Amino acid sequence: MGRIVELLAIAVVALFLVTVLSPAGTGNATLRDTVVANGVHDTGAVNLVTAIYLGYRAYDTLGETIVLLLAVSGVMVLVKR
Amino acid sequence: MRKTDILDVVARKLSPYMFLFGLYLVSFGDTSPGGGFQGGVVIASGIILLAMARGTGAAEALFPASRLTVLEVVGYVVFLAAGIVGVILGVGFLGDWFARGASVAARAATVGDTATATAAAAASAHRFVFLLNLIIGVKVAAGVSLICLTLFRET
Repeated sequence: MGRIVELLAIAVVALFLVTVLSPAGTGNATLRDTVVANGVHDTGAVNLVTAIYLGYRAYDTLGETIVLLLAVSGVMVLVKR
Repeated sequence: MRKTDILDVVARKLSPYMFLFGLYLVSFGDTSPGGGFQGGVVIASGIILLAMARGTGAAEALFPASRLTVLEVVGYVVFLAAGIVGVILGVGFLGDWFARGASVAARAATVGDTATATAAAAASAHRFVFLLNLIIGVKVAAGVSLICLTLFRET
């Protein structure tokens, strides 16, 4: 009985993932096509991942560097104590 | 735990190549897979390998914790400054001021010829991304290795 429920749960999750992650069903196709078409021209980075995280979302990267700085500060404060 | 010679030799031979690969990932982050965060972590893993195989003292002789702390803080300030320069030059916070400067220079050289100006701007556009990758690479390498060195020293 438990085995059947587990398999059923896995099947439901798999069905959910297939419908969400299939190329045709990807949420925002417009945004994706815009980045692919303009990313290199807008930011100059051929690597589109870099184009997004240092071009379109540089604010986000600035926040990530603050997170790292705070993590280092926190570790040093806790260890020194 | 007893340390063997194999660990010592391998760590000594391997860590320079890890630094080299990390630098490659940082500097080619805008054209191929990689980037500041990934390359920085690879450099940091080279430092951590030295610290684990040869002791924290050996790693800190090459990379003193005080200097890593300075790099970590200065890296953040330089990143912020690179963004503020964009505000001063009129391209917005963290805007691409390398391309802006190149396009202004080209426009001054060829008055009215916007095609040449945009071409010059596009040619220099990736330099700003390279600069940010370099800053982030140094900062992440210093930060991650600093966390691990501090924790190793404690245990």
